[in-house]
Amino acid sequence: MNDAAGAPALISFRDLTKEYNVGGEIVHALAGVSLDIPEGEYIAIMGPSGSGKSTLMNVLGCLDTPTGGSYRLKGREIARLSDDELAAIRNQEIGFVFQTFNLLARSDALHNVELPLIYAGMAPKDRKLRAEEALRSVGLSDRMRHKPNELSGGQRQRVAIARALVNRPSIILADEPTGNLDTKTGNDILGAFELINEQGKTVIVVTHEEDVAAHAKRVVRLRDGVIETDFRQAGRRVEPVPSAPGRG
Amino acid sequence: MEFRESASIALLALRANKLRSFLTLLGTIVGVTAVIALISLIQGANKYVSEKLVTQGANVFWVDKFGLILDNDKFIEALKRKDLELADAVAVAGTAKLAAAVRAKKERNADVRFGSERVRRVPIQGMWGDYVAVDRIELQEGRHLTAADISRRRSVCVLGYQVWQDLFKGQTALGHEVRIGPNSFDVIGVAEEKGSFLGQSQDNYVIVPLGASDKIYGRRGSIEIGVLVKDAPAFEMAQDETRAILRARRHVAPGKDDDFGITTAEMFMQLYRSLTGAIFIVFVGVAAISLVVGGIVIMNIMMVSVTERTREIGIRKALGAKKSDILMQFLVESATLSLTGGAIGVVLGAAIALGVAAISPLPAEVSVIAVILGLLMSTSIGLIFGIYPAMRAARLDPIVALRSE
Repeated sequence: MNDAAGAPALISFRDLTKEYNVGGEIVHALAGVSLDIPEGEYIAIMGPSGSGKSTLMNVLGCLDTPTGGSYRLKGREIARLSDDELAAIRNQEIGFVFQTFNLLARSDALHNVELPLIYAGMAPKDRKLRAEEALRSVGLSDRMRHKPNELSGGQRQRVAIARALVNRPSIILADEPTGNLDTKTGNDILGAFELINEQGKTVIVVTHEEDVAAHAKRVVRLRDGVIETDFRQAGRRVEPVPSAPGRG
Repeated sequence: MEFRESASIALLALRANKLRSFLTLLGTIVGVTAVIALISLIQGANKYVSEKLVTQGANVFWVDKFGLILDNDKFIEALKRKDLELADAVAVAGTAKLAAAVRAKKERNADVRFGSERVRRVPIQGMWGDYVAVDRIELQEGRHLTAADISRRRSVCVLGYQVWQDLFKGQTALGHEVRIGPNSFDVIGVAEEKGSFLGQSQDNYVIVPLGASDKIYGRRGSIEIGVLVKDAPAFEMAQDETRAILRARRHVAPGKDDDFGITTAEMFMQLYRSLTGAIFIVFVGVAAISLVVGGIVIMNIMMVSVTERTREIGIRKALGAKKSDILMQFLVESATLSLTGGAIGVVLGAAIALGVAAISPLPAEVSVIAVILGLLMSTSIGLIFGIYPAMRAARLDPIVALRSE
């Protein structure tokens, strides 16, 4: 099945490169990546350390800009946007879930979930309702006034998921979301991602764990800054994804 | 991002580190305290002095041997001048057309006794002329000195309120005899209370006819001439008129300086203003130094705060905070910090000023303007010294910030 043939892809990379200058030596973290991610995808990006997957995630998450190539999000070229424009896209289009949860320690769960809405400029009353709704949807309606240190790891990650979802982004971008959790809790979280994906959101998980990647519909493996393999999997069945045009 | 979010973050941070916040704010607190206390005291004093001095002495000028001398050499020079005599006052009273009332006064201290009561070193004022109009003395009982009392140098006196209280303890003094120095005087009147001026009672005096005072402390000594001017616009002209009369009488050659001095309430006011102005400048300097020091401390602590919260900044940026949001957050935080210091300073400064006013004769007035100034000053300190740390925070790379511990 070729998603790219129908509606334009949600995310479209063309010859994406990213170079770092490390002590006078140029490091090619991304050496020409082309990739299409249609809406509603659940994709795992894998690769050993140094493969460029973190860099790809940063660019994908609009935390960083590529050195070269094109990055279209919903058809809009964003590779050359300013910091503030990128901030707006992070706010509206992307929900982050981090390995270390990255909650504000001094704020309670509700306030943590409200943060994206604050930066979106939503009125206090509306955003409180929205944040409460988001926390309910991850099963934390009785933990809204708890601070992160009063919550278990799984609960913290669910707060983070609620925060990622609250501004209704098109993409959930998770970086090793189960890395700091035990297997059972990790599976709960992955279950939550599946549910989110079933509701139509695009989920992108960056991981080095095969177990985590197994939950995804599609797995992209990076090595040395280029895509090594790109497979669609259904259960245990693995089928290749047609190449995006221009992929080197 | 909205202001309330930033302010609540700031207050949260303040409360989380109480001791650190207090130490951080010490400089600002001291600076604002000094400014508020000083402004309150000076403003209180200004109002008080101008009320007392100007309303009591409006349209009156005084002529004596010295005038308002602040210079030691000039004072020694003035000592050599010829005394002003009663005849000078008589001449002014007789010829000055712009003068509504003229009086001559000689004053020296003497003990006053009644029965077993004694008041030491009371200013005994020998009066000639219309002292009632010039000095605005109202009586609560009895009568004033008459022209006949004065010309016949009768041994009669009018007691100041304080002297009457001390000697007669609120009982009537009329018809009684008091001893002033070695002499007996009949009390014919008691003056109304005038109150105090900068802690100095205005009611500690005894008025006797000029001439009768000679019996107490001898004939020697220069008089002071007091002149009440008919209408305010002619105040300067009236002084010139009296000056001309006295220069002629005392044979001062043209081009030479007066050998007497004219003083007005306005001159006292100016002297007072220049004194308080100097004090004010010194204190403003001290306050400015402590505010700058306070600002640097705030800047330092904000740098620490930015470093400590690098990860938080990263999180906020990942969630969509723009540079300006982060900048605003830290600016509001430093402004809130210093405003808190300013508020504490305002309260302390007002307390000090009112405390000083309560235990000393110095008056104080805490004005709204002073309070606003204090708060404004401290807030701007926070804003100015908060800019650099806030810009550092705003410019942080979100990836680097998220990776920090």
